Amino acid sequence: MSVSPTPVAPPPESPRPASGRAWLEERLGLPGLESAILGGQMPGGASLWRALGSVAAGLFAVEAVTGIFLALFYAPSVTTAWASVAYIQDQLPLGWFVRGLHSFGSSALVVVAGLHLLQVLVFGAYRRPRELNWMLGLALFGLTALFALSGYLLPWDQKGYWAKLVEATIAGSAPVVGVAVQQIIQGGSAFGNLTLTHAYAVHALVLPAAFVVFLVLHIYLYRKHGPTPKWSLSPEQIATRTVAAWPHQAVRNAGLGTFALLIVTAAVVAHHGAPLESPADPTSSYVARPEWYALPLFQLRMYFEGPLEIVATMVIPGILTTLLLALPFLDRGRTNRPSDRPRVMVAIGLSVAALGALSTISLAKDAHDPAFAKGRAEEKSRGETARKLALKGISAEGGLAVFRNDPLNHARELWGEHCGGCHGLSGTGGDKGPELKGYNSRAWIRGFLENPDGPLTMGPAKLDKGMKPVQGTSEEMDALVEMVYAQTGAPDADVARAARGHDLVPQKDCDSCHEIDAEGENTGPNLKGRGTLSWVTAVIKDAGHGRLFGEKNKMPKFEAKLTPAEIDDLARFVVAQKTAP
Amino acid sequence: MAEPPAEPRRAFLATLTAALGAVAGALALVPGLGFLAGPLKRGTIHGADQPLRVASDHEVKPGKPVRVTAVGQRDDAWLRLDHVTLGSCWLVRATEIAPVRAFSTVCPHLGCGVDFNEKTGKFDCPCHASSFDLEGRCLSGPSPRGLDELDVRTDGRDLLVRYQRFRNGSPKKEPIG
Repeated sequence: MSVSPTPVAPPPESPRPASGRAWLEERLGLPGLESAILGGQMPGGASLWRALGSVAAGLFAVEAVTGIFLALFYAPSVTTAWASVAYIQDQLPLGWFVRGLHSFGSSALVVVAGLHLLQVLVFGAYRRPRELNWMLGLALFGLTALFALSGYLLPWDQKGYWAKLVEATIAGSAPVVGVAVQQIIQGGSAFGNLTLTHAYAVHALVLPAAFVVFLVLHIYLYRKHGPTPKWSLSPEQIATRTVAAWPHQAVRNAGLGTFALLIVTAAVVAHHGAPLESPADPTSSYVARPEWYALPLFQLRMYFEGPLEIVATMVIPGILTTLLLALPFLDRGRTNRPSDRPRVMVAIGLSVAALGALSTISLAKDAHDPAFAKGRAEEKSRGETARKLALKGISAEGGLAVFRNDPLNHARELWGEHCGGCHGLSGTGGDKGPELKGYNSRAWIRGFLENPDGPLTMGPAKLDKGMKPVQGTSEEMDALVEMVYAQTGAPDADVARAARGHDLVPQKDCDSCHEIDAEGENTGPNLKGRGTLSWVTAVIKDAGHGRLFGEKNKMPKFEAKLTPAEIDDLARFVVAQKTAP
Repeated sequence: MAEPPAEPRRAFLATLTAALGAVAGALALVPGLGFLAGPLKRGTIHGADQPLRVASDHEVKPGKPVRVTAVGQRDDAWLRLDHVTLGSCWLVRATEIAPVRAFSTVCPHLGCGVDFNEKTGKFDCPCHASSFDLEGRCLSGPSPRGLDELDVRTDGRDLLVRYQRFRNGSPKKEPIG
């Protein structure tokens, strides 16, 4: 099949544009666009104070960029959230850095937005005609808080899970609508997959869209009303000091913004990215603390117990928010000069002091609480273990299953499947084989020598002709126990006593059944290296070997049933019973 | 306040602003791009490399290709699955005494799964109509090469296949992953 070429009409002849600028001018109307992007005049001059809003917007852009990168690798579900974040953090090149920038950047955004808020308060920039822009700014601050709340949960680690659980429960305590709100946040009656998909959609779709709309309006109104000049300047001074925003204010914005970002970067590098604790474990008792900026609320709650709790979680924050929103209408000061607005200034001062004091009290309390330190230390080591194990791959069951990658935990599972049917491990004796609780500890060996066919030793195996009990003085018994114990390679074996035990071997007739050398075979196991890792490995592989239990053996051969790695895990587990508590 | 010469200062500030902006932009963007390119440097999906049991030797009759799946362990980014379908292949035996050959069902053209057409006795790709004979040779259609043969061996009773994937759309048979 062939396609005949369709004749294409040649484009109408047009004169080449004089320059790229003119070409763009014709299509976009450059002066308007330029002033829309670069801003107009700065009455009263450029200043670093006025850079704070731009820096906050810039940090939001950093959050957006890093957030998009993270979203390319993140998977929101109970089984994949922690796993994918651990993958980002520990396996993707620079993943820790991008995630760190996103996390520390959000803290920086809260700080800068807070300073911006303070600056607006002090300059009186919320006053007529900027009331609506003040409210937009507060809404942006609220959205920032919601970003933090929803983002915190996403890694599904202990920290995020428990903090969010507390917050959802607080939401549930609200009158009338509380329970419904909590269930919507959670996506059901409890935390699960839908909690994560909800938090993710809100964090990555709803909030960014809302934030951008509010931010555009905020900047539009800011440009419309212009910056609020400093109160101390006279109209003449304002006029003479006025400069173009580009580049005079822009360079300050860029300078302060880059400085803030460098601080964030330094923090990211110093901490090797944001923390990632162990996978959320609903059965644990985790010492939950919110992120630093929520500590004042956390501490405030301590003073209102029982039914009064709602005062701290809703009433006080609600009243403060309402007061802030209504501030432009409450402030009756004559001018923007702070001394003309004493009540506002005192309220700001008290609020900042209260936030600082509450945070300090909370931090100080935890710093002096050994239980808190212990909880943190435990979580630290648990988190490190989990992340190390995650490098081996995480099963479909999700984050918490990493602990099964741990050789000892893995061995415990293998034990249940292959060994526990015959051997005991809890001290109650085995069904068909010896009890292995404290296996090859001095106490176990002594118990064996004194009663080889007892319920805790070979009794359950019902051997045809087992070992006869060893008899001797208590000193002789100590020496023999030490001799056997020393064979396990225990570093705390008493060499001299073990040697005395060795000398007793012919006298006690041990050597008629047991050899103590590298190769010898006899009716009982060769005692050389008995209880070492390689010896236990050999027993698991084939206990019926002539050097081991020989013809008396009743234990199955596991050489072909288990992989060498599984046998190794099991052998290490069995050896560890010697010193297990 | 005495104004300094306006134009050079203005130009300097504009350049400085652009430079600072570039530093900040690079800090946010470059590591992310490196991170995005991570999978180029190191694969994210690894399948089992050892031969996998796919069928019993006697199940493959002469001239009657059998489609079997290779089930094994696979690492996929963070996930490790022990028993997952890695892919499927056609087992073909020419005569009663001939050894079994295995061909990946992945069409070397654009990766659709080739099917066996019992009427024509050929492997046909359902997407773009490439056709292959029982020895995997491409007879017609856009496929740049014949079906990809996989290593297969027998332990006397069972057939073991080393399942691999190859780059599609190229005349060369080049393993991936």
